Amino acid sequence: MIPSRKAPTPLAGIRVLDFGHILAGPYCSRLLADLGADVVKVESRSRAEGLGRTRLGPGYKGRRDRSPHMLMTNRNKRSVTLNLKTPSGVDVASRLAAKADVLVENFSAGAMDRLGLGYDDLRAKNPRLIYLSLSGYGHDGPRRDWTSMNLNLQAYSGLMMATGAEDDPPTTVTASWNDYLGALHGCVAVLNALAERTATGLGANLDLSQFESSVASLGALLLASSVNKSVPPRLGNRARDVAPQGCYRCAGRDEWCAISVRDDRQWQDLVSLLSEIPELRDQRFASLQGRLAYQDEIDASIERWTIDRPPAEVEARFKAAGIPAERMRRTQDILDDPASGRFFEAIEDPPGHRPLMTKLPFTFSRSSTAEVSRSPEIGQDTTAVLRDWLGLTATEVQQLESNGVLV
Amino acid sequence: MARIVDLTGHAGAYCCRLLAEMGHDVIRVEPRRGDALRRLGPFLGDKPDPESGAYHHFLNAGKRSITPNLACTAGRKLLLELVATSDAIVGGQPLPLAQEDILAAKETLVIVRVDDSLPELCAYARSGLLAVTGHPDRQPVLLGGHAAYAASGAFAAVALTAALLVQQTTGQGQVIDLSVQDCLEVLGEQGVIAATETGEQFERRGFRGAATAISGAFRCADGYAMLSVAPSQENWGRFMDWVQDPVLAADESLADEAERRAKKDFVIDRLERWTSSHGKEELVLQSQAMHTPAAPITTSLDLVEDPQLMARGFLRKVEHPQLGSMMSPVGALASLRGFQPGLAPRIGQHNSDILSELGYSTPQQESLLGSDAI
Repeated sequence: MIPSRKAPTPLAGIRVLDFGHILAGPYCSRLLADLGADVVKVESRSRAEGLGRTRLGPGYKGRRDRSPHMLMTNRNKRSVTLNLKTPSGVDVASRLAAKADVLVENFSAGAMDRLGLGYDDLRAKNPRLIYLSLSGYGHDGPRRDWTSMNLNLQAYSGLMMATGAEDDPPTTVTASWNDYLGALHGCVAVLNALAERTATGLGANLDLSQFESSVASLGALLLASSVNKSVPPRLGNRARDVAPQGCYRCAGRDEWCAISVRDDRQWQDLVSLLSEIPELRDQRFASLQGRLAYQDEIDASIERWTIDRPPAEVEARFKAAGIPAERMRRTQDILDDPASGRFFEAIEDPPGHRPLMTKLPFTFSRSSTAEVSRSPEIGQDTTAVLRDWLGLTATEVQQLESNGVLV
Repeated sequence: MARIVDLTGHAGAYCCRLLAEMGHDVIRVEPRRGDALRRLGPFLGDKPDPESGAYHHFLNAGKRSITPNLACTAGRKLLLELVATSDAIVGGQPLPLAQEDILAAKETLVIVRVDDSLPELCAYARSGLLAVTGHPDRQPVLLGGHAAYAASGAFAAVALTAALLVQQTTGQGQVIDLSVQDCLEVLGEQGVIAATETGEQFERRGFRGAATAISGAFRCADGYAMLSVAPSQENWGRFMDWVQDPVLAADESLADEAERRAKKDFVIDRLERWTSSHGKEELVLQSQAMHTPAAPITTSLDLVEDPQLMARGFLRKVEHPQLGSMMSPVGALASLRGFQPGLAPRIGQHNSDILSELGYSTPQQESLLGSDAI
């Protein structure tokens, strides 16, 4: 959103109308904002989004009406307030959509249609509009109305049964993994549709399913099951093409080091490094085939060496021997390590408080990405956006305001 | 339609697959023996063969394959001729060609370099995500199915499609650098918020949800289902009407979410006595009918006949000349346009086609195909 003094951003001049809520939609529009689009978040004071979603502990130093999740997902956006329960509010939204390049929404299927803001309602006025829906299951099919949440998508996509070792219970990652995956797919679809629009002059109706995004990320497993009529074995931390590979317990509470031996040479280096464990010199382990077959034995032997050593030492010794190793890091370790967190940046919000923002994890040599700016106050840009996008005068905005449309 | 030269390893392969799903011409450049992805199991038909790797079939679907020998000058020259007709090149770090040669062949090219120098497990450990994946008091674990690579591939696709848009409007290319580890690190942003802002405990939670007292995986007769009870008293009442457990129903204090949290183990144990005598689909359908979030915990085999994926056209039957008939996922982006990417190519399947497109006559092709160059 903020024009850079450097090179232009990829989406300079692109207008995004953002009806996203919770995470998948707002994260997708945040990616577009980081790429330089003018993202206008439509919200309502009567249903302020992103509050209450987090239980803010007593130690939270930011403003309690602005949760840290909201600051993270809404930064680099502008905010307008519209009362979509009034016909005039819907009319303003529809006029904004007529001026937008992209609309992002992640309500449940049919919700935007019921408001009169579905793709078919808006296309007539703006055939160039790219309309991204990011519902849980898509807008058709027998389960379109299923309510979805991140953990349910981790479950239903097959991720929980693909993660962990054979006979482990279902296993999750404590992160809204599937919201992010859906949003990333949505962002790619929008960027591609923008390029296609240059050629065709036409927008697109992108009815993306978060569920399908998650299933696709594991597409090879589904394909294997389809042909083999069986579930591929769960590998835990192991791999099919290298051995040994695993997380080995180190000294300390819940301390681990990941180690991955890529080839026979690295295996010999490991055997030399762990010279006090003679069992590893077994000739059965000299080839990949043997190491894959006897990995239980090998793992137990390696762990005898790692278990009394701090993870940083294990990592350092393996790395020095040329064997890939990384200790399990917690977030705080990353924040404390100058070599990590290259794409985190602190901003001041509110004054005196400096939350970290996550940026796009890549660099362009020629384009720039948007500077990180603070999340808007609710409705702070209503007047400016109605002026910039719709050409409304101050008097006209006041009229809407007094009619209760802009709350 | 853009032409993309695909020199990626596993970490970037999903990026190029997404471009193929959107109808772009993606040309996979691989060695004569086929790339490593082909040799990664599981295999379709359980027969280890470079033409039957499941990851190859999924990640290379819709792409073409060419096998220039990059160890010889003629092979590198051929690749540069291909680059000259392309819009982007996606590969690892370093690329097998010098950047100045690439840019001399095509100054306006988009170059994406995916740093996958760390093994996936090591990148995951370093990113902070490993610490929050798995069960409490057990070994932390990498996400299965190489999902971490799919996520980094999706980020690479964001960068690539953005740069293609810039190229289209300005006529200029550029270089994009990205690493698997950085992609995973930023996906841990909720952990950053927890560590720096809210002081929440961010840890491995196994299969329990954190948002409400009673949520997570429940053992069923045929696997597991994700079920949850929203915090309100009214929801608990509806849940009890459904479950019909006399012991839980008798304890009126459980109408309170805080009480449920305090007696979580007891409540979950009682509930599992009930869920374990029912099928997962049955429970989930009943829960969804009450508008309460629920989902079956599926295996990839369960998904092969999933009614939602079939109805949306995400799963389609395809005939493979060697492997027979299979249900194939078209992909989340192909699904948007009713498109079905073609079958993954055989090694070097498109050598002749691509040589023709580059202007090689039939005799020239024959002489090249008979040489070391391809």
